[in-house]
Amino acid sequence: MTNGKKKGLSRRAMLKGTAAAAGLAAGSGAITGFPTIWAQSNITLRQFGTGVSNLNAIAERCKQDLGITLEMTALDSDATAQRTVTQPDSYDIADIEYWICKKVFPAGVLQPMDTNKIKYFDKIVPLFITGKLTPDSVIAQGTAPHTVGFVEGMDSTTFAKEPTQWMTLIPTIYNADTLGIRPDLVGREIKNWKDILDPAFKGKTSILNIPSIGIMDAAMICESAGIITYGDKGNMTKEEIDTTIDFLIKTKKDGQFRAFWKTFDESVNLMASGEVVIQSMWSPAVAAVRSKGVPCVYQPLEEGYRSWGGGLGIAKHLSGAQLDAAYEYINWYLSGWVGAYLNRQGYYSAVLETAKENMTPNEWGFWMEGKPAEEDILSPEGKVMEKTGAVRDGGSFYDRMGHVACWNAVMDEDRYMVSKWNEFIAS
Amino acid sequence: MRRDGRRGPAFWLLGGFFVLFVLFLYGPLSTIVLLSFQGPDGGLTFPMNGVSLNWFRNLFEKQAVGDFGGSFLRSLILGVMVMATTVAVSLLAGLAFRRRFRGATFLFYLAVASLIVPSILVSLGVGLGFQIAGVPPAWYSSAFGAQLTWTLPFGLLIMFAVFNRFNRSYEEAARDLGASSWQTFSNVVLPIILPSLIGVGLFGFTLSYDEFARTLMTAGTFNTLPLEIYGMTTNVTTPVLYALGTLTTLFSFLIILGVLATILVLRARRARRTAG
Amino acid sequence: MSEAATTTTMPGPGADAAAPARTAPPAERRGASARNIASYLQAAPLALILFVFLLIPIATIVVVSFWDYDFARIIPDFVLTNYKEALGSSVTWRTYLNTLRYAAIVWALTAVIGFMTAYFLAFYVRSATMQMVLFLVCTVPFLTSNIIRMISWIPFLGRNGLLNSALIHIGIVDEPLEFLLFSDFAVVLAMVHLYTLFMVAPVFNTLMRIDRSVVEAARDAGASGWQTLTNVIIPLAKPGIAIGSIFVVTLVMGDFITVRFMSGGQSASVGLMMANQISLLQYPAAAANAVILLITVLIIVAAIIRLVDIRKEL
Repeated sequence: MTNGKKKGLSRRAMLKGTAAAAGLAAGSGAITGFPTIWAQSNITLRQFGTGVSNLNAIAERCKQDLGITLEMTALDSDATAQRTVTQPDSYDIADIEYWICKKVFPAGVLQPMDTNKIKYFDKIVPLFITGKLTPDSVIAQGTAPHTVGFVEGMDSTTFAKEPTQWMTLIPTIYNADTLGIRPDLVGREIKNWKDILDPAFKGKTSILNIPSIGIMDAAMICESAGIITYGDKGNMTKEEIDTTIDFLIKTKKDGQFRAFWKTFDESVNLMASGEVVIQSMWSPAVAAVRSKGVPCVYQPLEEGYRSWGGGLGIAKHLSGAQLDAAYEYINWYLSGWVGAYLNRQGYYSAVLETAKENMTPNEWGFWMEGKPAEEDILSPEGKVMEKTGAVRDGGSFYDRMGHVACWNAVMDEDRYMVSKWNEFIAS
Repeated sequence: MRRDGRRGPAFWLLGGFFVLFVLFLYGPLSTIVLLSFQGPDGGLTFPMNGVSLNWFRNLFEKQAVGDFGGSFLRSLILGVMVMATTVAVSLLAGLAFRRRFRGATFLFYLAVASLIVPSILVSLGVGLGFQIAGVPPAWYSSAFGAQLTWTLPFGLLIMFAVFNRFNRSYEEAARDLGASSWQTFSNVVLPIILPSLIGVGLFGFTLSYDEFARTLMTAGTFNTLPLEIYGMTTNVTTPVLYALGTLTTLFSFLIILGVLATILVLRARRARRTAG
Repeated sequence: MSEAATTTTMPGPGADAAAPARTAPPAERRGASARNIASYLQAAPLALILFVFLLIPIATIVVVSFWDYDFARIIPDFVLTNYKEALGSSVTWRTYLNTLRYAAIVWALTAVIGFMTAYFLAFYVRSATMQMVLFLVCTVPFLTSNIIRMISWIPFLGRNGLLNSALIHIGIVDEPLEFLLFSDFAVVLAMVHLYTLFMVAPVFNTLMRIDRSVVEAARDAGASGWQTLTNVIIPLAKPGIAIGSIFVVTLVMGDFITVRFMSGGQSASVGLMMANQISLLQYPAAAANAVILLITVLIIVAAIIRLVDIRKEL
C-alpha cells in the first residue's frame, strides 16, 4: 500500500457509510492499491459517447479517485455508432446504447468483458442479466439489454441466450421514456400515447428522428390509437412497418408535427420555446426545461414506457496495463459515486446499492422511491431542481422501470425499416 | 477610378437594398447577442430570464459536457495550418500557372472539380480511404487534407484573379535593373500581391474554422470546435453557446480591423516608396 | 492598386490557366525547360494534395459503391444492388426532385440578391477600401459557428421569436406566423443567408473588370440606365453569375445540415439521405448515392458552362 494521502482521502470520501466499507472489504483484494499504480504510470483512456453520459464531472472524479485520465469526446448518437465501427482505434472505451451494441458488436471492434473481473457484477440490476426487473416481471419487447448483453465466449461475437462469463457492455445508465408535455399549454389530461394525435395539438407535437428509437415511439402511438396490434413491436414484420410508416406519413401530411428532433438539446429548445406542447422526451430534458422556469411534466402513460439503456464497452485493441485500467475504471464506475451522480439527473444507474450509499436519504427517496422531497432537491451543480414536497413524475424506480412496454430496438428488418423511415422523412 | 459619383435614386435604392441585405445577414446574430446576456436560469430561447454576464464567465469554466478550450485550440491550430498551407500552396500554384506547362489544364479542372464535389462526399471519401488504408484519421491529418480540398481552389482562383491583373512591366523593369528572380519576387511581386495573400489567408482560416461536413467523418479521436458544439447539443446546452458566438463576432471584428489597418499601412508605405 | 486591394476578398476566378500562352511574353520561351521544371515544382504541392485528398477519396467512393454490406460491416464485392436500390426507389427520385427544387429557388434568389449587392458595391461605392470594408462586414456573421447560428434561428423565427413578436407588436399580424420556422420557407431562407455571398463575390469580380468606357459609350449613345444594365452590364457579368451559380447549386445540392435543422427534420435532401445512410453504417449505399449526386452535380455544372462561356473569365 503506497497510497498517497490524496488518494486515501478521496476514496474514503467516495465510500462513506459503513455498508460501503463492508462491501469494500469483500472485494478489497481486487481494488486495493490499484489507484496508485495508475497515478504513477499516467494511464489515459479515451472514451466517447453521446453527451448524455460523457460528463466532464465523471472524468474529473475518475482522475481524482483512480489517477486515470479520461479523455471524453461527446458525439451525437449517429456519430457514436459510426465511430465505434469505423474508427476502432480512435477510442479505448465506447459508451453506447444497447441497440447500437446489437449493430456494432458483431463487427468485432469490441472485446467482451470477463464478469469475474467485474467486482459488482452480482449487484447489477437483473434487467441487464436476465431481463427481469423482479423475478415475476414480463420481459419487454424490443432489443432488451440482456439479449445483447453477453456473448458465448471470449472471442465470440455471437450473442448468448443465457448469461455467460463474457459481457458485451457494462450497463451505465438507462431510463424509461414517455411523452413530455407543457401542462400550461395542453389544456387537457394526457393519459395515452395516442393523445399526441389530438387535433388540438396540430403543429405542436414532435417525435424523435433517430430511426431505431423513433419507430418505437411510433409503434407505441399506433398501438395506442388502435391502428395496429404488433406481434412484437421490437421486431416488426415488413407489413407492420408499412402500416406504421404509412400512418406516420398521413399524420405528417395532416400537419400534426411541428418538427422531429435528433439531439437532446433540440427537444429542450422545442419545449422551452413553446414550439411544441407534447412530444417524446427524455427525463433529464424535462428537468432542463423545468429548470428554466417553464412548466413541463414527464407524463406517465397507460401503455407504459419506451425504455433504453447504455453501457461501456472495451475496444478490441486494449491490452495489458490499459486493459487493467479499463476494468478498474468500470469497477469504479459501478462503485457508487457515478451512479449517484447519474441518478440525481433523473437517469438510473446499474448498481443501485452502491449509488444509494452516495445519495442522501432524501435524494434517494425522491429519485428512486417516488417519495415527496423532504427538502429541496439540488442538481449536481447545486441549483434547486425540485422544491420541497415535489414528487417525481411517474413515481418510483419500480413503478417506472416495471412498466416498460418496449426497448429501443434493432429489428431483423432493420434495413427495410430505415428505408421506410427515410421515405417518411422525405414525404 | 470609379466614375459613377452621382448619387441618384438608383444609389439610394441599391444602397437601401444593401443595408437590408446586411440586416438580413446579421438577423440571427442579433438573437445570439441578445440571448448571450440571459440570466443564470435562462435557456437558449426566449423568454429572457433576467439579464446577466453569467454565460460569458461560464465560457471560461468547465462545461458539463465537452471542452471549449481544447476544441477551440484544435480549431485554431487547424485554421492556422490550413491558412498557411493555402497561402503557400496557392501562391506557388498561381506562379506555376503563369507559364504554360503540361497538365496545366488538367490540374486546373481538378481544382475546379474540388470546389464542385459536395463536402459530405469528400468527408466520406477521405474517412473511408483512411479506414481502408489502416491510417488512423485525425484532425491534423485527414481533416486537414479534407479542408484543403475546399480552401485551395478558392485560394488558387484568387491568385488567378491577382496575376491576371498583374502588370508584368514591374517585373521586367526589376529584371532590367539587374535583380535576380528571387529579388524580383521578394522585392517587387510579393509586396504588390501581399494584400491579396492576406485575403487568401483570411478566407482559408474562415472556411476551415467553421467547416463541419468535411470534418465530420475525418476528425478522428478529438473534435474540432464545430463538432464539439454539435456533440454538446446531445446534452443540455446553455446560452454559453451564444456567449461564444458573441465573443467570436467581437473577435472577428477586431481581426478585420487589424487586417484593414495592416493593409492601409502597407499601402501607405508603398505609396511613400513609389513616391520617393 | 485598388484592383489588387479589391481582389483580396474576392474568390475571383481568373488568370491565364486556360490560355497560358496568351500572356506569356516571348522572353519566357528562352530556357523553357528550366522554367518548366520550376512550374512543375510550384504546381506539385497542389497536385499532390488534390491527388491524395480528392482523387483517391473519390476513387474510394466509387469502389465502395459496388461493395456489399450487412448491418455492421462493409464487404468487398462487386454488386449493383446499391445502385439498383437507390435508383429503383421512388424515395430517391422524390428526394432528388426536392433537392433540385431547393437548388432552383435558392439559385434564383441568390442570383438576384447577389447581383444587386455586387452591382451596388462595384458601381456605387467609391473607394476600394470602402468596398473591402463593406465586403468584410458581410463576412463577419460567418465566423460564428454555423451550428450556433442554426440554433439561433429558433428564437429568431419561432412562434415566440423576435420576428413574430415584432410583427405582432407592430400590428402586422395577430397570430404568430407558423411557416417561418420548420418549413421549406425556413430552409430556403437559411440557405440564401448562407450562400448569397458565394454569388456576390464572383459577380463583383466580373463587374469590376467591365471596362467603364463601354458603359460610358452606351450611355452616350442614349441608352437609359436600365437599358445599359440589361443590354451591357448583365451580359458582360454573365461569366461571374455563372461561376456564382456553380457555387450555389453545388452547395445546395450537397447540403444536409441546413435542411435538417431548418425543416425540423421534416424535409429530405440528397445530402441528408446520405448522412442518414452513413449514420446507419450503410456506407456502400451512401457511396452509391454519392456517385449519383456527383454525376448530377457535374451535369448541372456542365450545362451552366455550356450556357455561359466562363472561360472568358479565366
